Amino acid sequence: MGKKLRIYLPFVNAGLQEVSTYRANWIFYILGDIMACFVSFFVWEAVFISTGGETFMGFARSDMVVYIFMSFLTGQIIGSGGTYNIGEEVKDGSIAMRMIKPISYNSTFLFQEIGNKIMEIGIIFVPLVAGVEIYRFAVTGSLKFDLLRFLLYLVCCVFAYAINFCFNICFGFTAFIFKNLWGSNMLKNTIVGFLSGSIIPIAFLPGVFKDILTFLPFSSLSYTPVMVYMGMYSGWEMLFFIGLQIFWTIVFWCLSKIIWKCVIKRLSIQGG
Amino acid sequence: MFREIKRALKMHRIFIVQELKRFMEYKGDFITGAIGLLLAQLCSIIFISVIFSQIPTLVGWSFNEVMFIYGFSLIPKAVDHLFFDNLWAVGHFIVRKGDFDKYLTRPINPLFHVMAEKFQVDAFGELVMGIVLLSCSLPSLDIEYSFMKILLTIVVVIFASFIYTGIKIGTSAIAFWTKRSGNIIFMFYMVNDFVKYPIDIYNNVVRSVLTYIIPFAFTAYFPALYFITGENPLFNIGMTIVVAIVVMTIGVLIWNRGIKAYESAGS
Repeated sequence: MGKKLRIYLPFVNAGLQEVSTYRANWIFYILGDIMACFVSFFVWEAVFISTGGETFMGFARSDMVVYIFMSFLTGQIIGSGGTYNIGEEVKDGSIAMRMIKPISYNSTFLFQEIGNKIMEIGIIFVPLVAGVEIYRFAVTGSLKFDLLRFLLYLVCCVFAYAINFCFNICFGFTAFIFKNLWGSNMLKNTIVGFLSGSIIPIAFLPGVFKDILTFLPFSSLSYTPVMVYMGMYSGWEMLFFIGLQIFWTIVFWCLSKIIWKCVIKRLSIQGG
Repeated sequence: MFREIKRALKMHRIFIVQELKRFMEYKGDFITGAIGLLLAQLCSIIFISVIFSQIPTLVGWSFNEVMFIYGFSLIPKAVDHLFFDNLWAVGHFIVRKGDFDKYLTRPINPLFHVMAEKFQVDAFGELVMGIVLLSCSLPSLDIEYSFMKILLTIVVVIFASFIYTGIKIGTSAIAFWTKRSGNIIFMFYMVNDFVKYPIDIYNNVVRSVLTYIIPFAFTAYFPALYFITGENPLFNIGMTIVVAIVVMTIGVLIWNRGIKAYESAGS
């Protein structure tokens, strides 16, 4: 295990350097992305003004703000570019260069991405969590931050990332079918974004949808970690949903292995 | 002048025909993109529906009015997306890879060439959604129609799309100095997310930014307001046209200065 890790460490390093080279660009990108959070923030403010009440379908005003920004942060933590990278490499043939090396194809991606993440999350994590907690403190007048829940949130994020990583590998091989990576990637992100509750909390959806979405793998991606962070689940519920995350992690891990085995036999590369 | 415009339009048609040929070759891919954009809007609409299932009006706006503004905001965006999508490529890689040389050596205006080169069929996703939303919300809104009003609205959509284009020209031109500006375009472009909703849900700071600094409010809220209420055409329509011309002029000025600063990549 230790030896294996040593092989992949340079990939983490490469990932770190990749982001630090284009740090300024990445910050502009994140500023553009976070704009949508502020839109949601103002829409919800207007909703609470219009209802005149303190809660909306069981969410207090401050809960909503925490939900919006923590969903955004969670999305960044669990985000995985596997789809795009695999697709690009299949298209331009550079996948061959990775495959002739005596290391696992997927692991090189994983470790490179972990490198990216350390850098990216390092920039936004503290400001976002601190901002959310200060806001909550200012509005409710009491400190709501709970260390245990925070640690459980991080655990949930690890599983969520694992699910998303494997899911994206499965999806990445659709590059064999679709050549429009931008289009199919956007289509996927939209559907996953909606089903994972990052646009509307799953609790707000009408009965049947809510039940279905709760058990589909997508709620494990963003909804579960955020709800754990917010303390919306009781002890047993929390255990159940983390169990569900573990279940989906195993399913998608197996699935990605199977798809990989099938697809790699058919891979043909022109030139390269 | 007239002959130049005629020539430009002819060239534009040729470019579009070329792009359509490409489209026919990769039909499936383009359709995926368009469906993706359509679904992205659909998600927001479900979001709005969920909100309105609990409240009758959002700070005084009815469901149909919000839908109308939302739909209206998509149309100028789609028009710009359809015709001038290639500006993103300038910011992302055309300048960085030195490919801009190609445009400088052709006997047409480089800005026109780069803008006209691509015809982005994906944009039909937004366009269709916008039109569907307008047609669904219109019957339940109490609007007085007149020929003048409809004509003004069509004119204003064209100018509103220039606000998008102008902002994209100005921000993509930053790449002439910095080599890449894709993410700067993205940052400015994403501000348009705010104007899908009536701007009076925002605080004064956001509202002022949307009106005076990055004037996306003129691409949706103000013209839609005129169409819904029929009030204040001088400001709602007139200012949209003025703002569009100002934004476009600033964009082109930045572009022209940028082109002088362009150095090709040395390979």
